[in-house]
Amino acid sequence: MKRKGSIWGLVFVLLLAILSGCGGKKPAGSGSESGEPAGGDAKKEPVELSFWYGWTGTEAAALEKLIQKWNDIRPDIRVKGLSQSDYQKQLTAITGGNPPDIASNFGQDVVPWGERGAMMPLDDYIKKDNVDLGDFVPAALSSSQSDGKTYALPIAMHVSMLFYNKELLEKAGLNGPPETMGQLKEYIAKLSVKENGGKLQRLGLWPGVDAFTFSYAYGGSYYDAENKQVTPDNAGVKAAVEFGKGIWDQFGSKELDRFASGLGQYMSPQNPFFTGKYAMTIDGEWLPTFIKQYAPNLQYGIAPIPYDENNPSLKHPGNVTTSVFYIPKGVKHPDESWKFLKWLTEPEQMAEFTAAIGNLPTRTSLQQHEIYKDVPGFQEFLQYSSSPNLHSFPATSFSAEYMTEFTTQYNAILRGEVGVDEGLKRVKDKIQPLVK
Amino acid sequence: MIDSISGKTPSRKKGWTRREWRYFWLGLVFASPWIIGFLIFTVYPFFSSLYFSLTEYDLFNPPRWVGIDNYKAIMEDRSFYKSITNTLFMAFISVPITLFSSLLIAMLLNFKVRGINYYRTMFYLPAVIPGVASALLWTWMLNPDFGLVNMFLRWVGLPDPAWLLDPRFTKPSLVLMGLWGSGAGALIFLAALQGVPQTYYEAAQVDGANWWHRFWKITVPALSPIILFQLIMGLIGAFQIFTESYILAGGKAGSGSSLGGPGQSLLFYAVNLYQEAFIHLKMGYASALAWILFIIVMLITLLVLKTSKRWVYYGGE
Repeated sequence: MKRKGSIWGLVFVLLLAILSGCGGKKPAGSGSESGEPAGGDAKKEPVELSFWYGWTGTEAAALEKLIQKWNDIRPDIRVKGLSQSDYQKQLTAITGGNPPDIASNFGQDVVPWGERGAMMPLDDYIKKDNVDLGDFVPAALSSSQSDGKTYALPIAMHVSMLFYNKELLEKAGLNGPPETMGQLKEYIAKLSVKENGGKLQRLGLWPGVDAFTFSYAYGGSYYDAENKQVTPDNAGVKAAVEFGKGIWDQFGSKELDRFASGLGQYMSPQNPFFTGKYAMTIDGEWLPTFIKQYAPNLQYGIAPIPYDENNPSLKHPGNVTTSVFYIPKGVKHPDESWKFLKWLTEPEQMAEFTAAIGNLPTRTSLQQHEIYKDVPGFQEFLQYSSSPNLHSFPATSFSAEYMTEFTTQYNAILRGEVGVDEGLKRVKDKIQPLVK
Repeated sequence: MIDSISGKTPSRKKGWTRREWRYFWLGLVFASPWIIGFLIFTVYPFFSSLYFSLTEYDLFNPPRWVGIDNYKAIMEDRSFYKSITNTLFMAFISVPITLFSSLLIAMLLNFKVRGINYYRTMFYLPAVIPGVASALLWTWMLNPDFGLVNMFLRWVGLPDPAWLLDPRFTKPSLVLMGLWGSGAGALIFLAALQGVPQTYYEAAQVDGANWWHRFWKITVPALSPIILFQLIMGLIGAFQIFTESYILAGGKAGSGSSLGGPGQSLLFYAVNLYQEAFIHLKMGYASALAWILFIIVMLITLLVLKTSKRWVYYGGE
């Protein structure tokens, strides 16, 4: 019996060692990290916040500069930045109970994550500190809001406009950019060049262009919040899909694939728009900066996205996407996290950061700011970003799946694997059951 | 230890002696690091994924029991069938081709020529390169304009496909990449080849067998257990293929563009599973997918093992 007891003792010691090995880490780690002050001492230990952001390289450097600025003026709250562009890491950190104190993400992740409880609603703080949400571009802010809750604040936004190659348009005898979708169609036909027995040499516009932007040009909408119906079969959305399909079929998958195979890298002087392989393109506010860098001699113009000629009220449509900051669920110092987040999204900091990385600010009060004076193309884009016809993809808990399925079916429709109506119905059939 | 072994026979009727019990427990204690690890990292996730597959679980909220709804939904999901088709293509086209080329390389590397060790190293080298690095390398090799592959094809006057852009050519691109890595399999074949007694070949030669007979009647049967092993490992690997698709099809997760490449032609089972789990936050659904994958792989493995009785020869028999 005595011997047996000693074995049990051994088991016990072993288990204890394992348990203490597992459990020991956490209190020690979190203790040193948080540095919770013992009392109301005057020499308070600074609170340390970890801040994960998705930018890298020079863009990360611009953000680090801001962090440095904060650390200089607020020694009591030290922020440590970490460039972490894998957003899945944020998920695991939050579910693992050890999240960063502030983090960046894409706007379309906000509501899916927020509604599931991964992000802290900021409304109480916003109310307490009188943050004027009215200053934010509505389409940009709406992607962070759901059911009257604000889960994140957008720091930067992106919107697409129509870029056109002035020389090529002139050569084709076209005066100025197309204004309506009907004109756009004509332009594409005129600007596309085939040689040697139908071999495509130049495209007016790549027909696989994102359907989201054109949906808004036709007054489309993806979700009917009142009736809780997803509406990929909405007339405007369908018109946009049919528009893409129409151009696609002029050339055919085989010819387009062959043509695409000869196109250069996007971020290089061989970008098809820079080399004149595309006469027009739909792209974001960063493109003028790239052009300045890679193709300084390109004669190009920036124009509003064309709209449905039957509906002039849809002038200046666009699809808005955002980058946001949020506070994950389960942070140890939500008050301090908020203070930093609020400071980052204040006009001064937002202007400095967005101008440095060539993104659009989300505050309307910044649209006249002189800091953007020298950013190429920004006058057009800043003006455009106040258009009332800008929309962002409806923020719902299922928007990620919705966008995936829509993109998948849109590509299948373009390639003729499925008809327009059937493809859009497939989207509806798959996504509607997710509506709660 | 010796005591317990020798003492076993007489005390069997009465059950274990106190001493045997003591050794039993002591043995368990010493094996416990593995046992505990096995329980925590294998048994627990195994059963919890079975449980999650019957729930709706988004990581943040407690799982909600939904019965077999996930399995029902999978059966109606087009992406599921697409991913199965793509994966089966890799399993039944890529695996045999790679296997055959491994065997071929192994036989070449079995020749006794000068500098054979350098050749062996050269062919094995690709296996040392991590998956992500080799996938990135191949995006350049297969670049339609500047890639070496198309430069060669143009040079010999063959059509140059848009490898990674054309849905018809994306999977063949992966087969090509797989071929490049067949040196790893060749090494295993080579080891087995060197274990085939030369006397067989000599005897066959005396009897007038040509090289084909020697290959087909001696080499292949002698290697059959290794072929079986490589076939099963290859099939399992094919069902888990992920990295190449994720890298080549531009894994821009979360920005609205779906994984899986042009026309979903690279949407493999594991890619679909990843998308459902980590982008759509449907852990329950993804767990159900994982279980279906488990069952498929098990069935295919059993099938291969069963048919193998007819073509695999073990030395002792």
